[in-house]
Amino acid sequence: MKYHLLLIAMLFSAVATTFGQFGQTPAPAEIVTSPVTRTIALKNANIIPSPGQMIEKGIVVIKDGLILAVGKDVKIPIDAKVIDADSMYVYAGFIDGMSHVGIPAPQNNQGQGGFGAQAQRPQTQAQPQIDRGNPPNEAAGILPERSVETVIKMDDKSVADMRKLGFTAAHIVPRGNMLPGKGAIVLLNEKSPYLRKDASFFSQLQGSGRMYPSTVIAVMSKYRELYKQAEQAKTHEAMFAKNPKGMERPNYSPTLQAFYPVIDKKQTVFFNAEDVLSIYRVFTLQKDLGFSMVLANVKQGWEHADAIKTKGIPVILSLDLPEEPKTSENAQANASGRTPGRLVADRNEQPNAEDAKKEEPKEKVANDPEKEKLEARRKEEMKKYLAQAGVFESKGIEFGLATTDADSKNIHANLRKMIENGLTEKAALAALTTTPAKMLGLSDVLGTIEQGKIGNLVVTSKPYFDEKAKVKYVFVDGQMFEYEDEPAAPANRGRRPTGGGTN
Amino acid sequence: MKHIAKIFLTICLLISTLLANAQVVGKSSRGTFALTNATIVTVTKGTVQGTLLIQDGKIAGIGTNVNVPAGATRIDCSGKFIYPGFIDGGTQLGLNEVGSVSLTQDFNEIGDFTPQMQALTAVNPNASAIPVTRVEGVTTVLTQPSGGVFPGTAALINLVGYTPDQMYAGFKGLILNFPEVRRRPFGNDTRTDEDLKKEEEKLIKQLNEIWDQGALYAKIKADGGQTEYNPEMEVVSAVVKGDMTLLLEVNRNNAIESAIKWVQDRKIKKVVFTGVAEGWRVADKIAAANIPVITGPVIALPTRESDRYDKAYANAGLMQKAGVKVALRTNDNENVRNLPFNAGYAVAYGMDKDAALKAVTITSAEIFGVDKTLGSLEVGKSATLFVSTGDPFETKTKITNLFIDGWNVPLESRHTQLYEEFLDRKPGLNKGK
Amino acid sequence: MKNYIILIIAFFAVSAVFAQPKTGSLLIKNGTILTITKGTLENTDVLIENGKITKIGKNLTAPRGIEIVDATGQFVMPGIIDAHSHQGIAATNEGTNPITPEVFIGDALDPVDIGLYRALAGGCTSSHAMHGSANVIGGECETIKHRWGTMNPQDIVMEGAPRTIKFALGENPMRSHGEGSGKVPSTRMGVEFVIREAFTNAQKYMAAWDKYNKEKATNPTAVAPTYNRRMETLADILKGNIIIHCHSYRADEIYMLLNVCKDFGVKKLVFQHTNEGFKVAPELAAFGAGASVFADWWAYKFEVYYSTAYNAAILTKNGVVTSINSDDANLIRHLNHEAAKTQRYGGLSDDEALALITINPAKQLGVADRIGSIEVGKDGDIAIFNKHPLSVYSVVQKSIIEGIVYFDIAKSADDARVSVNPEEALPAFSMESSHHSEFDSCMKDMFDYLFGGKE
Repeated sequence: MKYHLLLIAMLFSAVATTFGQFGQTPAPAEIVTSPVTRTIALKNANIIPSPGQMIEKGIVVIKDGLILAVGKDVKIPIDAKVIDADSMYVYAGFIDGMSHVGIPAPQNNQGQGGFGAQAQRPQTQAQPQIDRGNPPNEAAGILPERSVETVIKMDDKSVADMRKLGFTAAHIVPRGNMLPGKGAIVLLNEKSPYLRKDASFFSQLQGSGRMYPSTVIAVMSKYRELYKQAEQAKTHEAMFAKNPKGMERPNYSPTLQAFYPVIDKKQTVFFNAEDVLSIYRVFTLQKDLGFSMVLANVKQGWEHADAIKTKGIPVILSLDLPEEPKTSENAQANASGRTPGRLVADRNEQPNAEDAKKEEPKEKVANDPEKEKLEARRKEEMKKYLAQAGVFESKGIEFGLATTDADSKNIHANLRKMIENGLTEKAALAALTTTPAKMLGLSDVLGTIEQGKIGNLVVTSKPYFDEKAKVKYVFVDGQMFEYEDEPAAPANRGRRPTGGGTN
Repeated sequence: MKHIAKIFLTICLLISTLLANAQVVGKSSRGTFALTNATIVTVTKGTVQGTLLIQDGKIAGIGTNVNVPAGATRIDCSGKFIYPGFIDGGTQLGLNEVGSVSLTQDFNEIGDFTPQMQALTAVNPNASAIPVTRVEGVTTVLTQPSGGVFPGTAALINLVGYTPDQMYAGFKGLILNFPEVRRRPFGNDTRTDEDLKKEEEKLIKQLNEIWDQGALYAKIKADGGQTEYNPEMEVVSAVVKGDMTLLLEVNRNNAIESAIKWVQDRKIKKVVFTGVAEGWRVADKIAAANIPVITGPVIALPTRESDRYDKAYANAGLMQKAGVKVALRTNDNENVRNLPFNAGYAVAYGMDKDAALKAVTITSAEIFGVDKTLGSLEVGKSATLFVSTGDPFETKTKITNLFIDGWNVPLESRHTQLYEEFLDRKPGLNKGK
Repeated sequence: MKNYIILIIAFFAVSAVFAQPKTGSLLIKNGTILTITKGTLENTDVLIENGKITKIGKNLTAPRGIEIVDATGQFVMPGIIDAHSHQGIAATNEGTNPITPEVFIGDALDPVDIGLYRALAGGCTSSHAMHGSANVIGGECETIKHRWGTMNPQDIVMEGAPRTIKFALGENPMRSHGEGSGKVPSTRMGVEFVIREAFTNAQKYMAAWDKYNKEKATNPTAVAPTYNRRMETLADILKGNIIIHCHSYRADEIYMLLNVCKDFGVKKLVFQHTNEGFKVAPELAAFGAGASVFADWWAYKFEVYYSTAYNAAILTKNGVVTSINSDDANLIRHLNHEAAKTQRYGGLSDDEALALITINPAKQLGVADRIGSIEVGKDGDIAIFNKHPLSVYSVVQKSIIEGIVYFDIAKSADDARVSVNPEEALPAFSMESSHHSEFDSCMKDMFDYLFGGKE
């Protein structure tokens, strides 16, 4: 993989230092030059300005980070770097509806800076001085006043991984437990240009394990209590501001104050609700307290499709899908496929090849009706997960997509699985562009290829949802990232692509 | 007059105290007993009406033509039934006093390979659970150590006596927890089926090494050679030679199949499968291998969420119907007394009633090689039996008389004593009245 | 017209959100009806209409179209009620604090727990889904009906059942907090103190609110006391709005709580497990406290070492409203057998024994007006057995809740799960010990919590 950086020199040195600190090895001889122009034109491209539309052999021009023009008969400015995007496909940059991109997953037994890690329940060698029944908010995972910006690392590998898939903007939420902090909208280039801070009130049913609230029952209770206390405190503060004489002073708790925009319905709660039961629980809280909500990271939500539609609650589905079990057939399939399977490696180690032969037919001959039935049920259930997006589409529910639990390696394949199981490509594209833009209040600046919007684009070799589609360029805020094709054969694996920045 | 009344009262009180004490401290007694007018369920020789005579600790006569010697204690059993004492094929009785207090527990020694640990050594003859168990008709139990791969040697005991030797009922067996590799139910256990199989093979290989050593130990001894002090191999070699029974604990279907293969590969002479919770899945194979089974508890949950709700209840019956020789166990400690109910549940969910009765009497005795003395009512066998008001599997049936090894055992236990003391508590609600 | 349409849409929207559990109608013909409260009726029919029992009698005619269940030769009893269970819940113990009355088990209902189906297959149609016993004052519990086949937690709630809360005395809270975290209580003295202190704080909290509510109209500077859910729930206990169900074993601790409750004017009190309840049976009866016990569990820890299987019989004969509970995924499937043990241990009559698993637990849960006996006007919750339910050989044929058959032995699928794991065909093998070892189920979550890294 290789990308050309459009960086100003100062920023480059900052990034280089950071790389150094984290002990990662950057490309040894990467030459970075200052940009010659900030105007780029893509010509002869199949442009999909918004889901369902197509401009063949069109032109897109980006200037100073914004889309200057799009269409068939667009005049290419004289100062533009022109890219011949012949036969390529150009989409509006994808928006990750909810994401942990840029927030390193906490490592075991390591402090790993950032409250992504801190908000996790304390390590096994828990500090003895903490009263587990009444821990400080930080240990309890209750940090709604904190902003995710403080922990995002734009040089984290996850940023580059997601960008390479076409994600140009993300609604990033912190890792942690019940209330890990507020989410932000971030553009996925190196500069970490926040489009909007404190964009969401991120909530989870996740208890902290060993500290109160440790279980879902305590989280539900604590949520209700904090919410009502915040309502009280807000009233108290208002009363005190008006008429302080003779009145007890308010506490001005930052934790409770973080709820005020939610109470005022100026901020939306993004509630992590993966499975069918969690969604019921979240609905209960929402009904009791009345906040505006987005149901986020939904994996098993088809039971709720009708209720979601009736209530008009926006949804973000997970891009994480269940995986096929690791059975022998599976391992064999892998063995014959791209990745060398574990089975083959093991077989090679076996001193007695005959043993292996003996085992094989036994597995296959075993014609167990019980196992067949169970396998049929499993497949049926699997199908429900894969078909969820299609079901939502067929019911007319718009949704965004979240990468919070998804492995970037599986995302393209998972999108294809959703499409194979009923989701239309048009809706899939909307879920990556226009719908999250609308949900996050970003329709003016993101989601489509329109004049005046932010210069976020994805350029692919084939239609994006084609199995063989390759991302060729990604533009974020006008900054270009170029991707060469992956080396085809493992023989080439050692080769590091080289090349200077052109521009 | 007042004075006399006082004396009279004192005497009455004294007598009643003595009587009460006599009740609390019941002692077993020996002698000649004639249980008359009974329905005698012999198990092996049908059901007969008449008298059962107990003399010198043995059954001296059964039927209508029994000569009751003069001086015999006659116990009228009209409308009642006599059964051989029930045998529980797997318990912790005598090895575990209080569940959560580890210093009262003597069933799990440190180490995975401790075949030399003798359950019989640690049996507490005065464990409070022993009387609680026997008064419900369970007279004989296998008591076994647990934990690790070879937790030790189990022993069959009769539930009467004040030393382990008085209790010993003539069978010892080596316990092997057969390797069962399975995925951890929670967390990300990403091992493939193949990985699991590999691990299992590794464990079986280890087992084979132990077996080879046991064989070597036996051979050196047989050839008159001198071995190192090796108490573990002393026990293992006895099993390898076929002098001792291997009690092989195995429950999961795949593991049962592996165990059958291993037993056949190693040509184990005396072996019993215990547990066998998923025996119903591979019942034909167990039957074909002709390996007897001690299974239970019957009143248990299915082993998998997808299993029919009654699979554990039905397991014993399904194996029995497939031709497996099945005995039952509770695998319990303080509630071994529920063995008859386990048999009742097996019947309710498909086991032949006759087979279920045998599964807690003669089949167990056969498996343990003690069928010459225990497991049925036959002349010459040990007088280990009870009298009941009805079908002993039926919950409301009561045991009215109990004989173990010829001893007439009083029907008392902590549970009955607390009942006597507290049914009508004195003082009651008001201290003065 | 437009408004009308909006109204209709709104109606459907609302009914979709607050869907009432389904009810059904059916006629059970010609069974032996064990009414529990009104004797045994041979060759009798029971008519259930829209979830309620509407007629009991001979030769009833079925209203048109109604399903008929032939119970000839079978025994028809009220659905079994378990006053102590942890089935159908996704969390048991918030074991971090000795006092957690603010948590609510109803927030963690898990209607796809296979334990509920297995309970149904044992004739158990209702249970008391309880918080665990790690804390002296645990969370609020939920009375549920085992309406299998739904993923909606609300569908298994028994609407209108009174609020109940779990308390716990003795070894479990002492172990969880005294031993586990080095804080009070580590003795039974400490347990009493924790309860008295909590109740006293709740009294103060109530007084502060009373003061504020009185003042707020006239005093513009009055500030409301800080809302505190822990205190709110404790206050509701003191007001008599919540029934205490207290995990307890030893006679002394049972007696202690009777005294504490007398001092604070708390009257709604049921003891759970109550292994030594037989020792203070006269005191329990005089207070009017209930006792929910095991049939024969003992010796799994020291505080149950001096127990007797005759406990339920002694309590019953002393006039204590007594039930037999399961606290266990296995026991909940054969509570009829557990009840029958009181005939072996103490010689209770059939009606007395069956009351232990029907009308008595209903009384303890405050739902005796709805369930626990077969009477006209009550919920059509029924268990049908092939033999008398107190026989060891009896097998449940059907379990019915409000006129709907949720378990039918003839139709029961081998694999009854509602929800399956898409990543695993054959569910994991698991074997649970048949008897109590070391911890009771009440301590679920706590073993890992105290001694191992639970994820």
